[in-house]
Amino acid sequence: MSGLDLRGIVKRYKGDTVLDDVNISVQTGETLVLFGPSGAGKTVLLRMIAGVIDPDEGQIIVHGRDMQGVDPEDRGVGMAFQNFALYPHMTAYRNIASSIEVTEKSKQKLDDAVQGVARLLKIDQVLDHAPRALSNGQKQRTALARALVGSPSLLLLDDPLRNVDAKLRFEMRIELPALLARQGTTVVYVTQDYKEAMALADQIVVLNTGRIQQSGTPADVYLTPANTEIAQQFGDPAINLLDVTPQQDDHGVYVSLSDKKLYIDSAFGPWCNTPCVLGIRPETLRLSTVASAASIPASVEAVTPLNEKTVTLLRTAGGRELLVSRPAGTDEDLSGQVFIEVSNESVMLFDKRTGSRLDAHQQEAVA
Amino acid sequence: MRENSLIESWLRGIAIAVVILFFMFPIVWIILMSFQTNETILRIPPSVVFEPTLDNYRALITGKLETNAASLDIAFMRNLGNSVLLSVGAVALALILGVPAAYSFARHKTRFSEDIAFTLLSFRFAPPLLVLLPLTIYFQKLGLSDTYFGLIWVYQLICLPLILWIVRGYFEDISEDVEYAYRIGGHSWFSTFRKIAVPLAGPGIAAAGLLAFIFAWNNFIFALVLASADKQPVTVGALAFVTASGIQYGQIAAAIVLSITPTLLLALYAQKYLVEGLSLGAVKG
Amino acid sequence: MTGPRLTISNVDKIYGSGDAGVHAVEDLSMQVDAGEIVALLGSSGCGKTSTLRMVAGFEEVTAGAIAINGKPVHQLAPVRRNVAMAFEGYSLYPPLTVRDNIAFALKSARLPKTEINTRVAHIAQLLDIENILDRYPASISGGQQQRASLGRALIRDADLHLLDEPMGQLEPQLRAVLRGRIKHFIKERGLTAILVTHDQTEANALADRIAVMEAGLLQQFDTAAQLKNSPANLFTGTFIGEPPMNVFRAQVQLDGPKLALQLGDGVSLDYQCSDFNPQVLDRIQQSGELLLGVRPYAIKRGETGSAATVVANQWLGDQTHISTSFAGGTMVLVEHDRVRLNKGDQLFVTIAADDLHLFDAQTSVAIAHGREVAQ
Repeated sequence: MSGLDLRGIVKRYKGDTVLDDVNISVQTGETLVLFGPSGAGKTVLLRMIAGVIDPDEGQIIVHGRDMQGVDPEDRGVGMAFQNFALYPHMTAYRNIASSIEVTEKSKQKLDDAVQGVARLLKIDQVLDHAPRALSNGQKQRTALARALVGSPSLLLLDDPLRNVDAKLRFEMRIELPALLARQGTTVVYVTQDYKEAMALADQIVVLNTGRIQQSGTPADVYLTPANTEIAQQFGDPAINLLDVTPQQDDHGVYVSLSDKKLYIDSAFGPWCNTPCVLGIRPETLRLSTVASAASIPASVEAVTPLNEKTVTLLRTAGGRELLVSRPAGTDEDLSGQVFIEVSNESVMLFDKRTGSRLDAHQQEAVA
Repeated sequence: MRENSLIESWLRGIAIAVVILFFMFPIVWIILMSFQTNETILRIPPSVVFEPTLDNYRALITGKLETNAASLDIAFMRNLGNSVLLSVGAVALALILGVPAAYSFARHKTRFSEDIAFTLLSFRFAPPLLVLLPLTIYFQKLGLSDTYFGLIWVYQLICLPLILWIVRGYFEDISEDVEYAYRIGGHSWFSTFRKIAVPLAGPGIAAAGLLAFIFAWNNFIFALVLASADKQPVTVGALAFVTASGIQYGQIAAAIVLSITPTLLLALYAQKYLVEGLSLGAVKG
Repeated sequence: MTGPRLTISNVDKIYGSGDAGVHAVEDLSMQVDAGEIVALLGSSGCGKTSTLRMVAGFEEVTAGAIAINGKPVHQLAPVRRNVAMAFEGYSLYPPLTVRDNIAFALKSARLPKTEINTRVAHIAQLLDIENILDRYPASISGGQQQRASLGRALIRDADLHLLDEPMGQLEPQLRAVLRGRIKHFIKERGLTAILVTHDQTEANALADRIAVMEAGLLQQFDTAAQLKNSPANLFTGTFIGEPPMNVFRAQVQLDGPKLALQLGDGVSLDYQCSDFNPQVLDRIQQSGELLLGVRPYAIKRGETGSAATVVANQWLGDQTHISTSFAGGTMVLVEHDRVRLNKGDQLFVTIAADDLHLFDAQTSVAIAHGREVAQ
C-alpha cells in the first residue's frame, strides 16, 4: 500500500516556482529521503505534507486519504524540525506530551507513552528540565520524542541532525533505522548530508531548484548519478570531473589524460568528438611510485587525511587536479612524482553541455 | 595593562556617578520637597536640612488644603482613582484588541496588512490639539462626553498603536516552526495562539502594556477638555495646586510622589517578566 | 629564526567575576613553530575561540602571557601584533567588492599595484572566486563569502594567520580540493597558521598538530596520527575518530598464561599473557577493571571469534558502517568495501591485542595503546 503520494505538486512564491510538478510515491513503512542543497524546496514540500503550507496545484494523499482542506492537527502526522522548535516555556515532559494530550484523555496512558518514548531515546532523566537546561543532543532527542510519541503513521523529519555535533549525528544515524522500523512508520526525511541519505533511505529523491533530478535507491544514486551535480553531491571527497573529448582508434573508444589513452566502454562510441566530462570517483584510483603503460604521471600537491582515508591532491603534467582517496595507512608518505592508475570500468561519462550522465548500455539497448 | 584598567575603572565609576547625580537630582529633590512646608522650600539659600513634615500628604489624603490665606477642598485622591481607572481600562481594552491584531499582522501577511498596520499607527501622527475639537463635538453629539467610557475610548487610541507595533515585532520573532509543531501535535490555531504565541510574546506584551500605561497615565490634554472635575485624572487635577494665594510647592511635590508610585510599582512588577523574556530568547534556534 | 613563532604560557581566561565567572580557558600553555599549521579542536564552549581571540588581541588574557617570536604581545593592540585573521562571520566590508576586500591590507601597506594584482589573481584562482571578484559581498553566497574572507586573510604577509572555522560554510563538493590547495599554499609560502574548528575532519586534513580542548582545558596537543593511535585519555580517544571509538568496561581475569577481558553479557576477549608488555600486564592486573577502546576499523570480521548481531548496515558509497549489538552494548565496525549483511545477521569479530586502547576505569586516563600493549 502506498503510504504517501504526491501528485503534480506546484508551489510558487511571488512569481518564483519553488516546486515544479513534483510526483513522489512512498510505500508504507518505507523511508524516503529528500536530498538537495538549501533552497531546493525540500522544506516547503515537507511543510505541505504537514499541512502548514498549501500547494498551489497538486494532490497530497496520505494512506489513501486526500489531504486537501485537512488542518494540520487532523492529519495524524508527526514532525521534527531542524531547529528543534521546542516550546521554551514547557518542560521536556510537557513538550513531548503536547503531541498526544488532545487525543489521549487517560492521564495514565499519556504518562506511559511519554515515559516509554523518553526511555527509548534515553532522555527519561531530563524530562522535568526546561529546553534551555538541555544539551543540544538532549534537545534533539526531545524533539524527536515529540514527533514519535503519538506513533504517527507518517513521520516527517526536517534535517533533524543538522544542529547536533558530529558524534551525536553519527550515533543517531545508527539508532534511527531501528527506531523508525519499530513502529512501521512511513518516513519522509529531509537532509543535505549525503551520508545520512545513503544510510537511512530506502529511496532517495534528489531535488534541485524545485524539480526532481533523480529518484532511486542509494546504490542507484551513487553508482549511476543522473548528472554531474548529483555525482558531486554524493561522495566525500567529491568525484573528479575532467573535461574530455572521446576519440576512437583501432583498439576502441578512449579519452586522453596527460597524453595517455584511457580506453572506455566502446558503447560510448556515439559520443566521439563530443565535449564530455569524465567522472572518476577518488576511491577507484590507485597510486603507484613506478610507471606502467597506462598510468598517468602526476605530482603530489598535498596529503589531507579524511576519516580513515588518505586523500591526496595531485596535479598532472597537463595541470589537471585529481583527488585520490585510499584507506588510511596506504599513501601517507607519498610525495613528488607518482603515477595514477585508473580502472576504466569505474569511470562515468557525462554530456558536457547538459551535465547528464551518458549511459552506454541504455544507448545500446536503443540501438 | 593592569594599571591602565585600574584608572579606567576609576574614570568609569566617576562618569557613572556624574550621570546618576544629573538624572536623579530632580527626583530626589522632589521627594525632599514633599516633606517640607512652603516656607522651608522657598528659603534662600536652599538647604537639605529641615524638619520633615507629613502635612502635605495629610492634606492630599484628607482633601483639605490649608493655605495661609484660606482653606480649600481638593479632590486629589479622586483624581488618582480616576487615573487608575482610565489607564487600566484603556490598557486592558487596547491589549484585548491589540494582541490578536498584532498576531494576525505578524502571521498572516496579505496584500493590505502592511497598509492597515500603518494606518493604525498614523493615529498617533496627528497633533492631539487638532483632533480635539472635532472629537469634542462628536462626543457631545454621541453623549460620550464626560463619561468614563468615552474617556477610556479616547485613551485606548493612544495605547493601541503602541501595543500593536511592539507586540507584532515580538510575534514575528517567534519561530514559526514552534507554532507549526504545536499545530501538528493536534492543537487548533486558537489554542496555539493562547498556549504558544501569547506566552512566548509575554515579555513583549508586558513591555508594551507598561509603556502604554505610562502614556495613558501621563495624558493631559484629552482629559482636560473631555472630562469634568469629577472624572479628571491627576495630571489635570494637579492644576488645583496653583491657587489664588500662590503655588503650593510642597503639595505638588507630594502629589507627584503619589502619582508616580503606581507606575513605578507596575514597572518593578513587570521587570520580572521582561528579564524572563530575555532568557527565553536565548533558547531560540 | 630561532625559537617558536607563538608561545602561550599559562594563559587563563575568565569571563565575568566572582562565583558567576566562567573559566573559559584554564592554564593553557602551548608553542607553535614557524611554518606549522596548528588546529584548535573542540566542541562549542571548549575555549578554542577564546584562545584564538586572545592571540589576535580581541580579548584580554586574565592571566599568563602570549609571545610572538619571543616578544610578549598580550598587552599590544591587535593591529600591532602582525597577525592576519579570517573570521567565522566573514566580516567582509560590504561597500567594497570582493577584489577590494582581498586587496585591502596590501593597499594599506602601499604595495605596488602590479604586485597587488598578481597576488589577488593568484589567491582568487586558488579559492575559485575569479568570477566573483567584482561582485559585492551581499550578492554572493555564504560559501563564496567564506572563500573571499579566507582570501583576505591568506593574502597578507603576517607572522601568524588565524583562521576561525575557515571552512564550515564551504560547498561540500569543493571542500576536499580546497583543503588540498590551501594546505599546499600555506606550506609553499611558509606561513604559520592556527585554525579553530569543531570539525575534526578539517583539523586532520589541514593541521600538522592538533590541540584538543574541552571545558577550557587542553586535553592533548599532538599530531593527528598520535591523537588517533595514542589518545591521552578517554575523552580524546572517543572525540577523535569518525565513527567514534567503541568503548567497553572490562573485568580482567588472569588464568595462567591466559588473560581474559570480560566485557559483559558473557562476552570475553581472550589473549595470551605473552601478547602484553609485562608492565602493562602488571598495571591492568592490579586495577582489575578497565575501560577498553577499539577503533571501528580495527575490528576484524572472520569465521571465528566473538559473535555480534547486525543492528544496522549502512553503505555510504566508499565505506560501510556496520552497527552491531555486542556484549550488551553497541559496537560499530567500518569496512572500506560494500558489505552485504542484513539486520539480524550474525558475524564474528576478533580484536587483536595491538589494536586495544586501555584506559583507567576510574580516572579514564590512558594506560596503554596498540603496539605498547603488545610486546
